Amino acid sequence: MSRVYRSWVETYQDQAWSLARHLLRDAAEAEDATQEAFIKLWDNREAIDPERVRPWLMKVTRNACLDRLRRRRPEVALEDVDLIASGEPLADAEQGELGSWLRRAIEGLKEPYRSLVLLRDVQQHSYEEVAGATDLSLTQVKVYLHRARKQLREELAEVRP
Amino acid sequence: MNERPDMQDWEAQINALLDGELDEPGADALKAAARNDQSLARAIIEAYQLQQALAALPMERAPASLRRKLRRIPRERREPWLGFLLQPRWAGGMALLAVLALLLTQLGPRTPSDEEIAKARQELAVAFAYLDKVGARTELEIESTVGAEMNEAVTDTMVRTLKEQFAFDKENKA
Repeated sequence: MSRVYRSWVETYQDQAWSLARHLLRDAAEAEDATQEAFIKLWDNREAIDPERVRPWLMKVTRNACLDRLRRRRPEVALEDVDLIASGEPLADAEQGELGSWLRRAIEGLKEPYRSLVLLRDVQQHSYEEVAGATDLSLTQVKVYLHRARKQLREELAEVRP
Repeated sequence: MNERPDMQDWEAQINALLDGELDEPGADALKAAARNDQSLARAIIEAYQLQQALAALPMERAPASLRRKLRRIPRERREPWLGFLLQPRWAGGMALLAVLALLLTQLGPRTPSDEEIAKARQELAVAFAYLDKVGARTELEIESTVGAEMNEAVTDTMVRTLKEQFAFDKENKA
């Protein structure tokens, strides 16, 4: 079983880490949240359907991150919301700059929009997996994702020449 | 942001188009509308560009420190009593104690009965099985720190020494 667990680690550690990193914006906290998720994965390894490991792990990682965000001081949360407003304008839309801008823009989205964009548009999970990972219905996922994409598009249009 | 009412309807269609969920008549209708509506055409292009840019964002690689922590989880999460007993430093000592206890009973002044000898042999077999288990555990520990080549030298030497000692005592007794 520990061999199976090791293969799960190899396959999903980057995705879980990336999600935690974007949600928490703090490397040390993201590391702790990812580790917590994998400990739960190990503890529940017998009960988890092997076909559903990825959405299960993403859900647990996301929940670990949300718990940490809730525990943060309110002023930090407010600062997070204003992140986009303080972001540098995209003067020259080169790919690298666009990538950096997009990361900041995603981090500026509120939950669950941020998780939805990360899981669906960045990590390319299926709608069903995203719904499973976020505890939302398929319809809710589509509606919220629609709003998130629209918000990103409007922000991108504002900073583009 | 003020938006034309019909634009809100198109937004849902654009989203469906991006997800590949818009049927052919729907896609044709959207394209036809975009030919006569510059803002709609721009919205479709921007939506595509955004989708491609998001999909192209590179996945951040988990740091080495985290990778190490994740790999260690199975070892650290084993049942505490088992983990304690199988720790090489304790388990080795316990196996040695079992062997010594057995040797002491064998060195006693009186002649043991056949039944006692059979029992002692059985206990000895258990002790060696335990020792083998400890050896395997030690092997894993050493392998993870200094590599496979070294561990064989260490575990083999330990088991061989104990076995030789036992054989020597037995010969002396005989």
